[in-house]
Amino acid sequence: MLKYLFSAATILNAFVAGAFAAVPDSCVVIYDGVATEVAAAPAPSSDLWITIGDLTRATRFVIKTQGVCRDQLCFPLPKSRKAEFLAKQGPATWFNLSEFARLIKQPFAFDQKNNVWYFGARTAEQNAYVASLEAPNFTLPDLNGKMHSLADFRGKKVLLVTWASW
Amino acid sequence: MPGWQALYRELKDKNFEIISVAQDTGGAKDAGPWITAAKPEFTALVDEQQVVTQLYKMVNVPTAVWIDERGRIVRPNEVAFIDDRFKSFTGMDSAPYVAAIRDWAANGARSIYALSDEELKTRLQLSSEHADDRALADAQFALAEYLYKQNKIADAIPHFKEAQRLAPDNWNYKRQAWALSNAERDYGTTFKKEVEKLNGKPYYEPHKLPETKKPAND
Repeated sequence: MLKYLFSAATILNAFVAGAFAAVPDSCVVIYDGVATEVAAAPAPSSDLWITIGDLTRATRFVIKTQGVCRDQLCFPLPKSRKAEFLAKQGPATWFNLSEFARLIKQPFAFDQKNNVWYFGARTAEQNAYVASLEAPNFTLPDLNGKMHSLADFRGKKVLLVTWASW
Repeated sequence: MPGWQALYRELKDKNFEIISVAQDTGGAKDAGPWITAAKPEFTALVDEQQVVTQLYKMVNVPTAVWIDERGRIVRPNEVAFIDDRFKSFTGMDSAPYVAAIRDWAANGARSIYALSDEELKTRLQLSSEHADDRALADAQFALAEYLYKQNKIADAIPHFKEAQRLAPDNWNYKRQAWALSNAERDYGTTFKKEVEKLNGKPYYEPHKLPETKKPAND
């Protein structure tokens, strides 16, 4: 009997430790290519819940009455699903950034071990050039660290050619 | 790259620019020696995060895109060899493509090699097939690169693999990941083995250039 109790306690301990490990203090959100450390949600979740303060810090998105907004762009949250995106816990309001990414069709990837979330550009944004035929702009450094943008070459014919050392 | 330098010298007075972009996670450390040796007068950039591969949905190197004076695509992703150094591997003659570049530099929108909007859209739509999986692959690859740069190569590998699974036709995502570790040990394969698996299918998609060259109207 004692043996069984002991096993149960061990399992319980393992579970608590496991649950504990799943709730780290912070995680890293990479948005627009910029990595920001944010406070992790108080409860374990397979989604990424961050405070609305961290939301603005990491993504520049702001919660407004008309939706989740950045610059001129606003994404309204479906009324019936508000609870899937926003939750009040303790002094903070939390926002479900991964569910928001699904809503606006934004690809993301997650590394559980390191608690890193990577968010790419919205698929619609990524494919816009297929309709507009406009060459997507980029800004990259040369060997001296000087930055160059494709847009700087407007007015000229440009042969853009990629290669690699590997 | 020396070949591109010669072509650039020849064409730069025709309102023509070359931007070369190295798709190298190792950045200047890996790509730098090649650029330094070639001494290009054109713009040579280093792209540590395969930004250009992602934006243009490229699948291998060397890949070129023609962009006109208004910043619009004239010819999308195509294999771009300046000489025949790799001809035994590619089975391709570089001359027709280089001739096409010369024609475009001279004739611009009137060049027979400048594609119609309709043809362009068809080709671009082809390259954006499976766009959702490709976008997820891009996110996985970017996450893997981030972890790699944090010296967490073991943690990066599963994400590199996931990127490769989601975008199986993307050689850039395969070859870059393999080059960052021991491909045989960590991925159970090598570039050579994967090329053998093609079983005679061409590694590069052949150019779709017009069959007969008509002189452009003046």
